[in-house]
Order: sequence, then structure tokens, then C-alpha cells
Amino acid sequence: MCGIIGCIGHSRGTVETLLQGLSNLEYRGYDSAGIAVGGTSVVVRKQAGELANLRDDLDADPVTPGSFGIGHTRWSTHGPPSDRNAHPHTDTDGEVAVVHNGIIENYQQLRDDLQAQGITFSSETDSEVVPHLISQYRARGYAPEQAFQAAVEQLDGSYALAAVLKDVNAIFVARNDSPLVIGIGEEGYYVASDVPAFLEYTRDVMYLEDGETAVLRPTDLTVRNSEEIVEKDIQTVEWTAEETGKSGYEHFMRKEIDEQPQSLRQCLRGRFDQLAGKFTVEELTDVSDPQSVQFVACGTSYHAALYGASLLQAAGIPATASLASEYATSTPPTPPETLVVGVTQSGETADTLGALREADKRGARTLALTNVVGSTAARECDHVLYIRAGPEIGVAATKTFSSQLVALNFLIEQLVDRSKGKQVRDRIEALRVLPDQVQQVLDTSSAADVVEKYGSKESFFFIGRGLQYPVALEGALKFKEITYEHAEGFAAGELKHGPLALVTDKTPVFGIVTGDTAPAQKTLSNIKEVESRGAPVIIITDGKIEAERYADMALTIPEASIRTAPILANVQLQLVAYHTANALGRSIDKPRNLAKSVTVE
Amino acid sequence: MSIDSAVVLAAGEGQRLRPLTRNRPKPMLSAGTRPILGHVLDALIDAGLTDLHIVVGYNRSRVQNHFGSTYRNRRLTYHTQTKQLGTGHALQQAKEALSGSFVVVNGDELVDSTVVSDVRTAHIKTTAGTLAVRDSTQAAEFGAVRMQDDTVTEIIETPQTGEYRLLNRGVYALDHSIFSAIEATTDDGVIRLTDAIANLLERGETVRGVMSDDEWAAATFPWDLLGVTTYVLYQGDLTQPERRGGIYVHDSATVHADATLISPVAIDADAVIGAQATVGPDTAIGQNTTIKSGAVISDSLIESDVSIGANATIVDSVLAQGAQVGPGVTIPGGRSNVIVEETLYPDRQLGAVIADRTTIGGGTTIAPGTLIGPNAHIAAGSTVRTNVSAQSEVRN
Repeated sequence: MCGIIGCIGHSRGTVETLLQGLSNLEYRGYDSAGIAVGGTSVVVRKQAGELANLRDDLDADPVTPGSFGIGHTRWSTHGPPSDRNAHPHTDTDGEVAVVHNGIIENYQQLRDDLQAQGITFSSETDSEVVPHLISQYRARGYAPEQAFQAAVEQLDGSYALAAVLKDVNAIFVARNDSPLVIGIGEEGYYVASDVPAFLEYTRDVMYLEDGETAVLRPTDLTVRNSEEIVEKDIQTVEWTAEETGKSGYEHFMRKEIDEQPQSLRQCLRGRFDQLAGKFTVEELTDVSDPQSVQFVACGTSYHAALYGASLLQAAGIPATASLASEYATSTPPTPPETLVVGVTQSGETADTLGALREADKRGARTLALTNVVGSTAARECDHVLYIRAGPEIGVAATKTFSSQLVALNFLIEQLVDRSKGKQVRDRIEALRVLPDQVQQVLDTSSAADVVEKYGSKESFFFIGRGLQYPVALEGALKFKEITYEHAEGFAAGELKHGPLALVTDKTPVFGIVTGDTAPAQKTLSNIKEVESRGAPVIIITDGKIEAERYADMALTIPEASIRTAPILANVQLQLVAYHTANALGRSIDKPRNLAKSVTVE
Repeated sequence: MSIDSAVVLAAGEGQRLRPLTRNRPKPMLSAGTRPILGHVLDALIDAGLTDLHIVVGYNRSRVQNHFGSTYRNRRLTYHTQTKQLGTGHALQQAKEALSGSFVVVNGDELVDSTVVSDVRTAHIKTTAGTLAVRDSTQAAEFGAVRMQDDTVTEIIETPQTGEYRLLNRGVYALDHSIFSAIEATTDDGVIRLTDAIANLLERGETVRGVMSDDEWAAATFPWDLLGVTTYVLYQGDLTQPERRGGIYVHDSATVHADATLISPVAIDADAVIGAQATVGPDTAIGQNTTIKSGAVISDSLIESDVSIGANATIVDSVLAQGAQVGPGVTIPGGRSNVIVEETLYPDRQLGAVIADRTTIGGGTTIAPGTLIGPNAHIAAGSTVRTNVSAQSEVRN
């Protein structure tokens, strides 16, 4: 949830490198930020609020430049955001500074023990136990690395840790259930919770596994699993710093909405053969046919999971989509030959990892559908299918959702539709034209006009049926995430069973109706229900059914296949949410209380 | 100190290239398989410029999205011109980000790096500006200058009268004093860069001219894109690997073993060329475009996401992004009169211009010199002899 950065052994300014890293990581959490610079003393500076506060503080009162340090941006789990609760945390004498992501589950016990020994805590966080523990072991005569190891061994729960000690020219790091990656620069080393933090400096990285610790010194790096030294592979990440820049856009979210034609091209590239009329998704060739499929996911990814389950059911394979947090709490039976698919953009979503581990424990096969190569989900699951959307910085997921839906099409092709012939060629063609159809929606959307007319209403409802039902849910989620206004998504047919009572002339209803089949006719009836209650109606339509006369405004999408129309409809709703939030002056890329990748349960 | 900064003007629509500019500004139209602007940025980088600024306006997201925040490891800084009030006004949007002297070029016109390099190195700090000129009979058409020795004495955008033989190449090195000249220039709300330079001359500032003699392919009208594409193909200015002499095919493209490629030709990423199709010469195929079996395509610019049906014949044509051409469509090409924005241009070599996402039903025949779309629908079996406007339906 929070962001960690560290650097050692390079000749650039340490403070500037740390601040740049934090700025690159700001999307992970942003209610406070701080740094610690190591050397003959450990200098800690931290500020509540956005990173700019810390930067201002450092501009006003610079620290003596050191050659190594650690930094952190925080998103509260324990204790309200304040200067005091910001990381890094230190021991009593200020000789040990620690930054921490995750939750230390036994922190109360450790804190009580330390307090009983007369140690005073200066924050309300779980993290502060770590520097005190290290300090205690140091006082007992442990060498720095041993003191760090011994402290880590005391911890239960999830953590990514980085520590610096006075007079020790090194950064000590540890990982358990919270991502941590080391960057190997031309000179020196970096450590971060996520690759974009140091992408300007190096693309060669090493992912730490749970239970591993490492010591970064100016010219060498040692990774251990308890006592044993571990030889790790160096991987090169393909993402470039360029891809994480804002490119003249006001918001990353808008940039990422506009990027969808390109991200979909990457997702599609090489995954079908038009001339032979078949799909060629290499990652899936060894996935054998399951008897049933259970999707687990959270947030936007859950809506993708609903789409995937719906497609599989239509093809005759029993499939369910569960919220990962609920799945882990009350796990359904997993009959033999069950495939459990975890949909997680980051591959680090704690709830989804928990559900996948539970499924694995019960003997199910697991598949990760993720955007991040080398992520925990990718490494832990039996299979992995990458959505190849590229880095997504905006907290509100946009391009990764459309790529998730496309990737789910590949999964369905592998599990069900391995036929050849015209139907497959048609499905390939539907995917081939998709990037340009998304471009067409972007080129022609009148979402801004819709928002100008209805953006200041009280509540916003989104309805859809079949594969457009997940899009209605996603449209509402996106809307509430970034506008802070009340929005709900409903199955179109469910409206009359209760929610219709909420509908008035102050509640615009976005109705998604595509195609001209019987379900589309039924959705049209549901749209008439709200229209006759006086609600402003905005339809998202491909024009195949005569729906516009029941609507006040229409957002049109090109005619598309039943499987790709939801992706196009969703782009319109992304733009509706974006324009509304922009008109309201919201913090679009970093909505309040939210973080990009939720690595706590 | 040498000049490091360059400003690319890419905010205008390019109305004379309608209907191709409905969704994109002119710099984003293709020269071969890449936008014109990509070639312009290459020329700047090859000329040694490192700090690149792009002024965007009309449909700016298409520029920003395509190029992102760096290009060939040089940072790109975007400046937005909200209303298109002339090239001088456009340059003014980058004022705060510039110090010292800088190069200015148009984003919608191919330029050779040697011209940029010559202007860059010829510019002397003590003068207000330096610009590239060339001998041309078309000077009156593209903007002209008069010079005495190497000093510019007059600059004029659209000469109505008089003999001009020196063409303003649109490549400038300018001092910061241009901004006070821009601010002093008001001509019914539109501020052209040439008017601002004329203002410099009036004030007695020195502006020097550098002669250039590079080959030059301007894209003013839709048919010019064919010439520009041919120019790029013969220059070999392509990013795809060269498979055989003059045949450039991207690694992710698929060319059926029984298809024929005729040099020079370029095939971009994810494109598919079916069995017995013939593509080339002087033809570029954009990314993710599909050419079905038996189609014959020559002397044409086919952009991205186009689909061309089996046995279609397409000559001398521009097919823009997402155009869908049914089986057996015939666009025979040749010379004809062309009407652009109500002006008739006689005897141009042009088959058809099919704008973004227009659909041509199977078996349709399109007479030479026809402009169609965008988003128009031509029913199967039609014959089209006149221009077809955006979003309209044709059945006959």
C-alpha cells in the first residue's frame, strides 16, 4: 500500500534520488512522506500530507547530503496521518531508522514487551517496534546485520522493510508478504516496493521472495534466506521511464484512458494467427480442461472476473466469480479439476493472494491473470496469463480493465472454444478491430456534454444486463472512486425489485444496451421504467436497437461483437467518470482514502 | 554556445488535408508507416538538438499519446495552444520554457536534418534570427523571402503580387527577441510567425538566410501524402527491418508465402498479407492492417487498422485508419480533377482518399479523384463518382 525507496553507492544526490523515487511511487499512498539519510549520523525528515510538503521542508532547511538513504510514502492503516506517524521511524537515540510496508500482526505484544523495558514510543504505528528491536540487539552486542536479522525474526505478519544504522554504510532490507524489489544500477543499488520508483536509474532488477533479507552495500549485494546465501536471477524489466511519464496530460487517468488502443494492441500481439484462423496464446497451452472455474478478485478486477465467469457459463462450464476477501473467509468447495483464476492488476493484492493460497491449499489449480511480470501472484500460481497493459499509475484502473477483458477472451478460447472455422475467424476479427474501435470511441465521445448537463445531480445509477452487467458495476465504481459522488450499478432486471424506489428526476440513469437480441429488448424495457419515473436517461448504445427515443442523451459505440461491446461501452463510462471528477476538481489520480495496489487484507 | 532547444509547431489541423484531419492534426498523418511528426523529430535529434518542445492544440491527445514523454531518449515537453491563432501565437505558448536561442520547425512538413543542422550552426548570437530558404518556383505558394547577400530584407506568408524566387523553408533559429515581436504583432487575432519576423525586420533587427538544397516533399493536399510516402520509401527512412532490397517488413507482420511484395514497400507491425495478394511498389501498409487474398495494391498509402477484402484493386490511393474495404472493390487510379473544400484542382494523380473508418461495400467501383468520409458507408455494388461527405450513406 505504501511506497518504499532506498539507494546506495551512486554519485547522484541522495535526497533528490529519494524524493524522485517517492514521487514515482506517490500513487501507492500519500498521506505522509519521509526520508532518512545515513552516515555518521542518521538524519530523518518527515511530513504529513502530500510529498510537496516534505519537499518544501527540505528546500527550506536542507539536510547534509549523504551517500545513501531510505524513503517512504505512507497510507494509513495504524494511526491517523501525522508527522509523528510518518515513516521513517527511529529508535530512542535516533541511530536506527526504518521504513515499513505491511502490517506487523504481533506488534502489540512486542510493543508491550519493549515498553516494559522502559522504552518510550513516539508514534501509534506498528512499524516503530522494528527500530527499537534492532537497537536492543545492537545494545546486546549483535553486529548490524545480525541485529537486523534477529529483529526480523521477531515479526509476524506482512512486511517489506528497509533500515539504516548510524556509522554503517549499508541498507538492510527484508520481505514477507509485501513486495520488495532491488535494482542493480551501473553504480550502486536501489530498493523499492515497486519498479517505477527507480526506473530512471536502472531496469535490471531482482525480486525478493518471502522470508528473504538482503544487505545493500555501495559495491556489493548479499541476499539471504535466514542464514543461507541465495543466488538470485537478475531480470530486465521492459517498462521504460517514458511509459510512466505524464506526457503533457493533466492526469495519468486520462492518459491511460487514451492509451487503451495501444495497450490493447500489446495485449493482442502474437496471440492469434489470422491466416490460420486460430488463437496462439503460448502461456495457456499447458492449461488442461477444468471441470469448473472459480474467479477470485477485488474491485475493478472483480468486475472483469464477473465478465469471465459469465462467458464460461455461456459456454457450458460451471463458473463463479467471488470477491477475494469473502472467498478467503468462507471458501466454497473446490471439486476435483477446479481451476481458480485470480484476477489482480498488480499481482500483489493481499486479498486475492489470500484466496489463491486458500485454493492452492485445497488442491485446486491456480492461474494468475495479472499485469505485473514477476509479481507474487505470477510466481505463486500454477499458470499465469499476462494482460500486457503496461504500467498504470492512476489509482482508478482503466486500461488494465480493458486488457483484463481481452485476456479473459483468450482464456475462454483455450478452455472452451478450440474449434476452427468461421466462428473463430469472426472472433479473431472482432478482437483485431477492437483497438481502432476504442480509438473511435475516444475520437467521437460526447461524454463531456453529458457531464455538463447532468454532472451536478445527486446520485448516479448504472444498469446493464448479461456481459454489460459487470460494465454497469464498473461504471459506478469508477464514478464513485474519483468523483466522491453517490453511484450504484445494478443488473437491469433487478432495478424493479427495490432500487427503483431511489429513482427520481435528480438521479441520472446510465443504461447500457447493445445489440438487438431479446436481452437487449428487456434492458430497453428497464430503461423505459426509469424514464417514466422522470429520471434523466443516458444510454450507451451501438444503435442496433431503437433506444434513443427513450433517452435524453446517447453515448454511441461502434457495432461490435457481443464479447467486445462491453469494452467499448466501458470506455464511455470511464470518460463520464473522468469528466465529472474533473468538473468537481477532484484529485483524480490519487482519490482520497484509496491506494493503487492494496497489499493489506 | 550552441543551440540545444527546438520547438515543433504541431497545433494546427491542416484544413486542406480534410477529410483526413477529422480526428487527427496534420502532423499525425502518415508519411510511410509513421506520422510526419516522427520524421520531423528524427531530423531534430539527428541535427544534434536535445531539448524538444512540441506545441499541441487541435486533437492534441493524439500527439501526446503517440509520442509520450520521451522520444529516442530525449525528453519531450508539451505546450498547449488552446485556440489556433497562428504559428506566432503557437510559439508563444513555449516562451516560458525557453532560454537563449532555439530552433523552430513545422511539425507537419518533412525536413532534412542537414537543413536543421545548417540553420542551427549558422545562427549567430548577435542576430535576431536565421532561417532556411531555397530557390523555388513555388515560393509564392508556400511563403517567400527576399534577401540581400545573406540578409533577409522581406518575409511574406502569402504574396499576392510580385516576383519571388526564394521560398521560406519554415526552419528557423530564433533569439528570445521574437517573443516581443510576437507580442507587438496583432493582425485580426491571428499571429503568424512570419509576421512577427517581418516585425523584427521593421525594427532593424538582422535576420539571416541560409540556402538549402535538400530534396523536399511538402504535404499540402491529400494526394501529396502519396509523394511524401514515396519519398520516405526511397530514402529508406523506415523502422522495419529490410528483408530484401527496398522491402521492409516488421517482425510481427505476417506475409503469406504466396503473396508478392514489390519494392519499395513497407509493412508495419501486426499487418497480415494474404495469399496471392500483390503489394507495391511505392506502397506503405500500416500496423494491424489486413490485406486479404488476391488483393492488388500499388502506389498507395494504407494506414493502420485497415481491412482490404479479397481481390480488391487499389491504385494511387490513401486509405486512412480503420477504413474497411470489401471484396472486389476497384479503385483504378489515374489522373483526374479533385475537389477539396469546394476548390477544384485539375489533373491530379489520385485514385481515392478514404478517410477514417469509412466502409466500402464489396464490388464497389470508385472513380479517380474521389474523397470519401470519414465514417461514411458505401453500400455493396455501388459506383462512386463524386466526393462523399462524413457519415453519409451511399446506395446506388
